[in-house]
Amino acid sequence: MDNAKNLKFPPKGWDRSGLPGWTYHSSALLDLEIEIFKTHWQVACHISDIPNIGDFKTFDLCGERAIILRDTNFEIKAFHNICRHRGSRLVTNDQGTCKNALICPFHGWVYNLDGTLRGASQPKSFPPLDKNQFSLRPVEYEIWHGFVFVRFKKGPQPSVKELLNKYEREASGYKMSEQIPTDGFWTETSPVNWKSIRDVDNEGYHVAMAHPALQDLYGSNYYGDSYEDGVSRSEGKFTASKGRHWGVRNYKKFSKPHKDLPMESNQTWVYYGIFPNSVIAITPETSLFYQEFPVSTDESIIRSATYRYPNEDRQQKAARYLASRIDRETVVEDKQLTIWSNESMLSDAFDGFYLSDLEYGVKTYHDHLRAILPIYNITETPKESEIKELNSSLIKSKR
Amino acid sequence: MKPNSNELKIQKTLLNYKVGISGSGYIRYGAAMYFYNLGILSDEMLEIYRRCCKFDNEDPIDLARFEQISNLKINL
Repeated sequence: MDNAKNLKFPPKGWDRSGLPGWTYHSSALLDLEIEIFKTHWQVACHISDIPNIGDFKTFDLCGERAIILRDTNFEIKAFHNICRHRGSRLVTNDQGTCKNALICPFHGWVYNLDGTLRGASQPKSFPPLDKNQFSLRPVEYEIWHGFVFVRFKKGPQPSVKELLNKYEREASGYKMSEQIPTDGFWTETSPVNWKSIRDVDNEGYHVAMAHPALQDLYGSNYYGDSYEDGVSRSEGKFTASKGRHWGVRNYKKFSKPHKDLPMESNQTWVYYGIFPNSVIAITPETSLFYQEFPVSTDESIIRSATYRYPNEDRQQKAARYLASRIDRETVVEDKQLTIWSNESMLSDAFDGFYLSDLEYGVKTYHDHLRAILPIYNITETPKESEIKELNSSLIKSKR
Repeated sequence: MKPNSNELKIQKTLLNYKVGISGSGYIRYGAAMYFYNLGILSDEMLEIYRRCCKFDNEDPIDLARFEQISNLKINL
């Protein structure tokens, strides 16, 4: 793929080496990284996943767990999925409806849909309980074009709206808040460090070799911005060719202009990267998000859901099906790449990355990590027991 | 707690939610807690509803009768 013409030129002499290999296999570092996940916005679901009063969707992340639900006033609320009595999960299914109240499956404490305590079971076994004092703990949330973001702890990012403000005009055209679910949530476990997934996703240099369908769809017209202020944008404009790949050929044939979009958006797939681990991808037919979370140093969960327009016709439905086929192939191909890249870092022969100018997005993403945890700058593998302390001292020396 | 008449009506319907429907045990118990807070459902009956909440096919009133609990129903 020759997309050098589409580069925002990286500075001369930039460091092409990527993160040190040890950072992909360190448990002590992972403990520090988990704080990044908790203090940054995460896509939990879309408003259309919980359309009716009492509908809920759960979202687990690195030991935290949230319930996003629609209360009796039809407002969206987000709470920790933790009973104030003994900490049990209040709802145990990924998704469902609490018609009247949230009831803890452990002892039967009852909560109103606004999170306040309705009552403890066997109430006389307790002193009087204040319904507000014992209400569910709220989780910070924000809705951006229909996507519900949550943040478990306050962190350095501004509001989601501010974070993604530079894409506001473009995003508005897609009317994503009007979309509805397609086939639910998809999750998969991958035997790699979470950063290996992000490293592959943050560049388009590999598309020509690894993704025949994507290459056929938009390969030479791919353009990727580097990560700036916590976000990145990349796009693939459809190439003029009919398409050699069956799915792409028919997708190009069936994908038709959306009346509210400018013509060029109707021929483009757009990706918004949101630090540290989320992407919202938009096609003329759908919007979807995907994200990865660490389970351990060498295991991650990938989670995704896709949304469509409610009034699509048969042609749009066919195009959506074909787009999802292209996407599915890409996911399988990417998974293999992440495995090969990740396992190499256990080898003594691994000598770091040597990134192309076309992979500058990987570098700028790594810079975001380095800004939070300067320990990433240490090239020699530190002792596990010293990582936390060393990182703290590096932060202090920066001040 | 002063009951809102509309909410009262809704909760009464939920308390009498049809036995046998999936999730109905939780629905009845949630409503029972509402009426307990109003002081019109006894401790004993609240506990009956709790015990039945995981058994959608179990009628709390039948169980209460079997256990000879008085004041079976809410007194509105």
